[in-house]
Amino acid sequence: MRPLLLPLLLAACQDAQVPDTPTDTDVERPVPLEGFELDVLVLLDGEPTEDVMVMQGGSLDHRRTDADGRARLHVDPGIPGDLAVVAAHPEARIRGVDITARVDEITIELVRFSTDDNPDYVFQDPGTPDRRDNTGYCAHCHIRQSDDWFAHPHSKAASNPVVHDLYAGIATTLNETGCDEAGGTWTTTRQPGGGTFETCVLGDGVLPDLNPDCGAPCDAPVNTADCADCHAPGIDGELGGRDLLEAEGIAFEHGVHCDVCHKVSDIDMDAPPGVGGRLKIIRPSEADDSPSFDWTPLTFGPLPDVLNPRMGSVHTPIFQQAEFCGGCHEHETAPMVPGATLDADRWPSGMLPLQSTFSEWKDGPLADIAPCQSCHMPPDAEAGNAADIDLLATLPGRAGGWLRPPGANRRHAWIGPRSDEADMLGMALTLDLQTEVVEGEVVATTTVRHTGPGHAVPTGEPMRMVLVQVQATCDGQPLIATAGPAVPDFGGALAWQDASGDWDVWPDAQPGDVIRVVADLGWLDYDGFGPFGDGTFSPEDKGLADLRHVGEATVLSVTDGIVSLSEPLPEGDMAFLGRDRGPEASPLAGAPGFAFARVLTDGSGALMVPSHKATDIRTDNRLLPQQSWSGTHSFESACEAPEVTARLLYRAYPWDLAAERGWHNPDRVMAEVTR
Amino acid sequence: MIRLSPLLILAACGGATVPQDLPVETADTAVEDTSPPPRPSLELAREIPNEATEPGRFETTLVAEGTYDGDTPVRYQYSGDVIRAQVGNQLAAVLDNQLQSPTTIHWHGAGAPYEMDGVPWQRQPTAPGEQFTYTFPLEQSGTFWFHPHFDTARQVDLGLYGVLIVEGPDEPEVVNDLVLILDAPHESAVDPHHHGLEGQALVWMVNGSIDPIGTLDAGPTRLRILNASNTGYLDLDTTDMTVLALDQGIRTAPWSTDSVVLGPGDRAELLVDLQGSMDLTSRPFSLHGGSAWGDPQRLLTLTGSGPSETPMPTFDVDPASPTPDPGTTDITYTFQGDGGSGQWRINHETFPDVTIEEVALGDDVIVEIRNLSPTNHPFHGHGHAFEVLGVNGVPPARYTLEDTVDVPIHGVVRVRFEATKAGDWMQHCHILPHAEGGMMTVLRVVDPEVP
Repeated sequence: MRPLLLPLLLAACQDAQVPDTPTDTDVERPVPLEGFELDVLVLLDGEPTEDVMVMQGGSLDHRRTDADGRARLHVDPGIPGDLAVVAAHPEARIRGVDITARVDEITIELVRFSTDDNPDYVFQDPGTPDRRDNTGYCAHCHIRQSDDWFAHPHSKAASNPVVHDLYAGIATTLNETGCDEAGGTWTTTRQPGGGTFETCVLGDGVLPDLNPDCGAPCDAPVNTADCADCHAPGIDGELGGRDLLEAEGIAFEHGVHCDVCHKVSDIDMDAPPGVGGRLKIIRPSEADDSPSFDWTPLTFGPLPDVLNPRMGSVHTPIFQQAEFCGGCHEHETAPMVPGATLDADRWPSGMLPLQSTFSEWKDGPLADIAPCQSCHMPPDAEAGNAADIDLLATLPGRAGGWLRPPGANRRHAWIGPRSDEADMLGMALTLDLQTEVVEGEVVATTTVRHTGPGHAVPTGEPMRMVLVQVQATCDGQPLIATAGPAVPDFGGALAWQDASGDWDVWPDAQPGDVIRVVADLGWLDYDGFGPFGDGTFSPEDKGLADLRHVGEATVLSVTDGIVSLSEPLPEGDMAFLGRDRGPEASPLAGAPGFAFARVLTDGSGALMVPSHKATDIRTDNRLLPQQSWSGTHSFESACEAPEVTARLLYRAYPWDLAAERGWHNPDRVMAEVTR
Repeated sequence: MIRLSPLLILAACGGATVPQDLPVETADTAVEDTSPPPRPSLELAREIPNEATEPGRFETTLVAEGTYDGDTPVRYQYSGDVIRAQVGNQLAAVLDNQLQSPTTIHWHGAGAPYEMDGVPWQRQPTAPGEQFTYTFPLEQSGTFWFHPHFDTARQVDLGLYGVLIVEGPDEPEVVNDLVLILDAPHESAVDPHHHGLEGQALVWMVNGSIDPIGTLDAGPTRLRILNASNTGYLDLDTTDMTVLALDQGIRTAPWSTDSVVLGPGDRAELLVDLQGSMDLTSRPFSLHGGSAWGDPQRLLTLTGSGPSETPMPTFDVDPASPTPDPGTTDITYTFQGDGGSGQWRINHETFPDVTIEEVALGDDVIVEIRNLSPTNHPFHGHGHAFEVLGVNGVPPARYTLEDTVDVPIHGVVRVRFEATKAGDWMQHCHILPHAEGGMMTVLRVVDPEVP
């Protein structure tokens, strides 16, 4: 048991804002010593009501009322803390009755809350690890959960500079000189979080691309692409369709925070993502006559026995269901850029599935078996209670909640691909490498299998990519691959030419660059998500060329755009110019390997474009659960013991977009095998 | 359990506003003071006699029998708790099934050949009233156990299991060699849907009693501890805790530690110098996330009586170094599932609809076990003991040979073994509701010379 910390105890008590906690009956002690059976009648707005959850606070067991609104319950005085019986209905705040003596029957009266969302309500400050000194902050009581949340990207959803760069078409990491060099415009524009600042207007962005008449910078957008509905859902006032740059204060600093999520009463998967759509938010609208609140508190959550009126809790199971995450992590949309259209033959619904993590899970082997929370919100065995009552000055029960079995409380850390505390990327796929030396060649067979999560890998934001990289060496010297699959064009290139081009001329080349030559064997078939796997699309429709690496050469020098190379280039159908960018993601198209991505294109045919510019999905060869990919590469072997290394790399952003905006964008090694 | 003093709370809060319904006294103050009932005495495990008439054999008949309330079994048991044999013995154990249900015996960790492994994967269990003879050589010293591998969660929960001790030629000299079977009974009845109890607190019994006390001769004492629970984890602690062995016998010199975590099916041997009294406790440890809130639970108290003339044994064990992880992987098992659905998966598959991975006899096999589910899982591999290469990338402090290893939430455990026994070997989580909820698969070791 964690020791009771006096400083924290005192801190918890310094706040006098704790409201009086009304009771349904006068509390008299002692409580009964023996367990007994109890009839519970539940009235909802005065009427006996069926199917209401009834339980003893802190119990693991519950009953549901019958058609007469009654349930019979065993009362166990051995459960630590206050002895109370509670009733929970999805349309009413949880209410309870204290049990002070053995009785045969009690009545619990529930009152429906108003389902009107109140735009005058001000979202509560979640607090932070450094700012939790009164009950005005969620972090005051929910210490562990707050710490988890604060360290997680959800809390940065509205303030993430990458989001703002893509939203406003800016490059916040560049200074004025860098901006000039990149071809941007150094100017004053609205600053994320409020006010104005000088920054670099550069490249694509939701505001400039979707509001062509707005100017650059665009300060009065008409079309916001509804980014804020998920990235800054806590903007007070009317919900939905808000400008991300309206997010100020808590809405900006804390992104997806406690009071937003716990105001979600239901999910409508048929509506657009986010608040004002799929996430059915109800902010309380009943005026409260207490000195502490303007509105009678209303909080939705997964527990059926939370009685503290400070919370105004309503039990709803959606918090344990994948649909809750699908409220944002699922996004279909019509083309957003004015004038852009979809190919109706490819997308007859007129919608592009930009993000489909929920659907991938729903169509996969873990559907309805392990919801998102199962992997991404693991249990917290060290938390006895969501409100950390062992650190606070209260007993288990009404005020602070009852003790929960170890693991009943879930982490609020949403462990994901970029979490440091778990190697989720490493567990997503398996990588196998088998090698043999045959007649002076090393033959390496690489196999990637998806045995991990219930969704595709990669998933989520369609800029993500997984790359396979296969390299061989003899005595530390690299070997040239002579055959095998190549990284597709969406793996990135500084430039490329087809066979009709002059492969001696590469104006963008620098010494040290690599020119990779591939043969195009036609269209690869694969079973991807949606029309890429359900028989709708032909291999050509699936848009993945079967590129085979046939050779490469290093650029030794460049004169007037004409390169001299380390060796002659072999014949092929295409050549890609690549460059080793050190710690940053490099253009790898044509290299021995492969890649998996959902490749968004725009009207110009550009690849890996940001979501708001998409007019088509050219390819979606991401690995679905239980799928695998295998490729065999040959390398010239100049020694008896050649060494082959296969790597799986996770790329968060396309290399060129990250380079343009100055984002730090290293490829993360998911797995590596050397034989 | 957390119990805060209201007086402390009120004093600490001074004049702050306190919710009016906060209790001003705990229920404790209202409870009439009653003395705790006397603690039971530790029952010693029943040793099963060797009925062999010739040397080099251990023969017995294990009668599986039950007591019933009508047709409802109240308790199952074999006709004894402990087989104590010698390395090199040929074990011949006749299972005499006097239950009303089919059953088998799986020799957990003891290296039985496939046809003696007791799994109904490709053969029928022993029917009520029938017999089956399990016979195989005992090649490895250590503390193993035997239990059904059919209707497993229910039969094991009812008590149908025993301990198999195989002694080597150089066992350390101790005054007491004590078998402690730790179990939390009645788990199956309250968890019929494979949820894994959702973290309910377990009441631990030691050799059938709750919190017993035992008096033994003072001196060096070897504790052979089995976690026979369906779902419960132990995090053992005692005074000057020294580990003698884990699953597969003495492999290195004893080592001191302050924590030994035993998942269901796991074993450990501790060496203690029993002088005076010592408690064996378990810190809170949940399958839902490991170290947990709460107070330690005392499991038993042992008292050493009389003079102690036997010195603590010394060990001349050549400590093998852990094998460096080669970084390659032959087989990956990813655990998935959720207590809410009670459905559990390995590589997205549910037993028996599984992909059978194959390796060849003689192969050096690296297995990586990944846990993407919200509970710990004690991974148990049939057929071959395995060396642990690392947990979350950290190699073990010493050479460790196991047959059951805990895989924490979001953890990655890598193990290696040499495939020396052909057969279809079950690989599964030893939280029995999880196994029955689908978290099992099969590894086939193929003998290339057998068509």
